[in-house]
Amino acid sequence: MKREELSLGAAPDAIVQRLAEGRAQLPAQGHGPGHGGGQMESVREATYRGHHIVVRTTYQLEVDGMPIVGHMGVTNDGQVHYHAVPNLGFTSAVDLVKQLIDTFPDDFEAGGHSHEHGQGS
Amino acid sequence: MAAIRRDILTDETARKNYIEGVTLLKQEFLGPTTTDLQIPGPPAQISTYDLFVVWHHYAMGTFTPPTQGDRNAAHRGPVFLPWHRFMLVLLELQLQRVLNDADVGLPYWDWAADGEAAPAAQPDSAVWDDDCMGGEGSPVSTGPFAFDATDPASWRVRVTADVQGQLVQANRGLRRGFGQNVAGLPTQADVAAALNLDEYDRSPWNTQSQGFRNRVEGWRPLAGAPGLHNRVHVWVGGDMLPSSSPNDPVFYLNHCNEDRIWAAWQDTFPGSPYLPGQNAPAQLDGHRIDDDMHSLLTNPVTPRQMLDPSDFYSYDDLQVS
Repeated sequence: MKREELSLGAAPDAIVQRLAEGRAQLPAQGHGPGHGGGQMESVREATYRGHHIVVRTTYQLEVDGMPIVGHMGVTNDGQVHYHAVPNLGFTSAVDLVKQLIDTFPDDFEAGGHSHEHGQGS
Repeated sequence: MAAIRRDILTDETARKNYIEGVTLLKQEFLGPTTTDLQIPGPPAQISTYDLFVVWHHYAMGTFTPPTQGDRNAAHRGPVFLPWHRFMLVLLELQLQRVLNDADVGLPYWDWAADGEAAPAAQPDSAVWDDDCMGGEGSPVSTGPFAFDATDPASWRVRVTADVQGQLVQANRGLRRGFGQNVAGLPTQADVAAALNLDEYDRSPWNTQSQGFRNRVEGWRPLAGAPGLHNRVHVWVGGDMLPSSSPNDPVFYLNHCNEDRIWAAWQDTFPGSPYLPGQNAPAQLDGHRIDDDMHSLLTNPVTPRQMLDPSDFYSYDDLQVS
């Protein structure tokens, strides 16, 4: 690819225009596969000796009563993964949730969801 | 003239340019707001730097195809390497713009060289010095990205993923926790093992594949996971862990080195093509060589368009292991 093919589209005005055009195409937050009702379903499929295998696994995670509802999946070799910690796989869903508590301390402080909003100092 | 990407530890100019460039991008607001990007809370303008954070998060949340929940538009599949090359080229163009220097290149961090040190010594690498990336902490308190609650211009995390996998607004310092989740950085032997794989990718085209892409991304070998790229994210910890990991400027140093390893692999195996080809089934939509890649900031490009980046940049050294 030639530099000029991309550089014009990377100019500030072009980026703003592209963002405006693409806004309607953004996925609604919290509505990816696995979301809904606090339950997450993972579907594994494989073919073996001509037979089609489907394994559906449903997870319902809670920490101190708070549902954890992001996307969660299981690979065919049994590794559990979670959208919010994308560089890790786990052999245990319990270990995964422990990692979430370590990674997102703001969400597990008393009362949870303690992100500070706004742009003030 | 194409940029030359250099080692951040040995090239002072590259290091200073990068720190100045990302700082300027963090302070530049083109107009888009959190509301425009479906981030809840009162509308707040998003900096040019943070637009890349948002893009990375949304790409990661876009399943390709949407009928499955493993491969996404930037990870866990063949598109991992070309998508991040695309992202880095776009950021590099922004750095060149704000620094008014078309020759500025992203620097890389040769983390496998630091991985040769004993794990206990790895946090002492010069990459964490005050004149480079600064150290660890919650918040980071040294270096150019240190948090100062009294200084609105100090580096602040403004958008981040939460435990539910959603982007939320924030106003806090950067977080890092070296080696808290994995003992050590990848080693040069790990990189050499990846470079022995002559096939770019193969079925099942996901985290279980045995090809080069999956080795560099860090899902195989399973006994060593997280490996290479993933391991660097996990070792740095803090804000390098969630889908909003571009919040930490170290993100780009990691991916620039991963891209350098890909460039070295391309140099080693010039006859080994990007896979899958366009004749692959629709189940691989978003990962085939001529599929549009996820783009939030510009018109999309394809993996094929990212295979030869020589018009944008080259590396000063492809000796990666």
